Amino acid sequence: MTTFSDMETVSDVETVPQDLLIVLRHPPHGSQWLREGLDVALVAAAFGQRVGLLFQGDGVYALLKGQQAGALGQKGTHPQIAMLEMYDIDTLWASETALAERGLSADDLMLPVVPLNAEAVAECFALHPHALIF
Amino acid sequence: MLLHLLNRSPQSLSVYRELGEAFGADDHLLLIEDACYAALPSASAALEPFEGRVSVLAEDLASRGLAERVSPAIAVVDMNGFLSLTESHQRCVSWF
Repeated sequence: MTTFSDMETVSDVETVPQDLLIVLRHPPHGSQWLREGLDVALVAAAFGQRVGLLFQGDGVYALLKGQQAGALGQKGTHPQIAMLEMYDIDTLWASETALAERGLSADDLMLPVVPLNAEAVAECFALHPHALIF
Repeated sequence: MLLHLLNRSPQSLSVYRELGEAFGADDHLLLIEDACYAALPSASAALEPFEGRVSVLAEDLASRGLAERVSPAIAVVDMNGFLSLTESHQRCVSWF
């Protein structure tokens, strides 16, 4: 099992800043926040913007494997996560603290993410000219 | 003898604190919607005040991909179990 503590945490944001930083802080299903953020990411990417996604707090649960539709057939957000690659959104960052607090390792997630320590998260915000928080 | 329904993730610390104040000796807590994340072993601290008197809704665990991740200390109930809990308690109180 690969844990994030095994991986080297980047102290600086290695990928060049994207045109737009979208920060996802809410978990799937309970509210529309995550869906709204992912919608904006996909629309921006469709218009040729380079989008970076940062998962913070409960937002990291958006990446958890094994999600499905709700008991009443409510759509989840996992299909949108699976579509990110098709829209060339492959810059995925996640707060290392958020992952660690929730006991999540790389094996638990649908897509590979780059874990960022607190310093790198701050740098991520500083480097991007536009940031939208969801 | 109340059934408390909670739908917020442990990230919302204050609602857990306020529920803890209101939680009586014979009360029971049912975790629904985003409160399912409190049923993970990594969140056990949030449920300490309610130890042994907590259930979580199976349907909401499944949609979040949490069905196999629940802490063994927490009972999993389905919608019928939810109904039984409402029958066996005098009233329901919702926390959100």
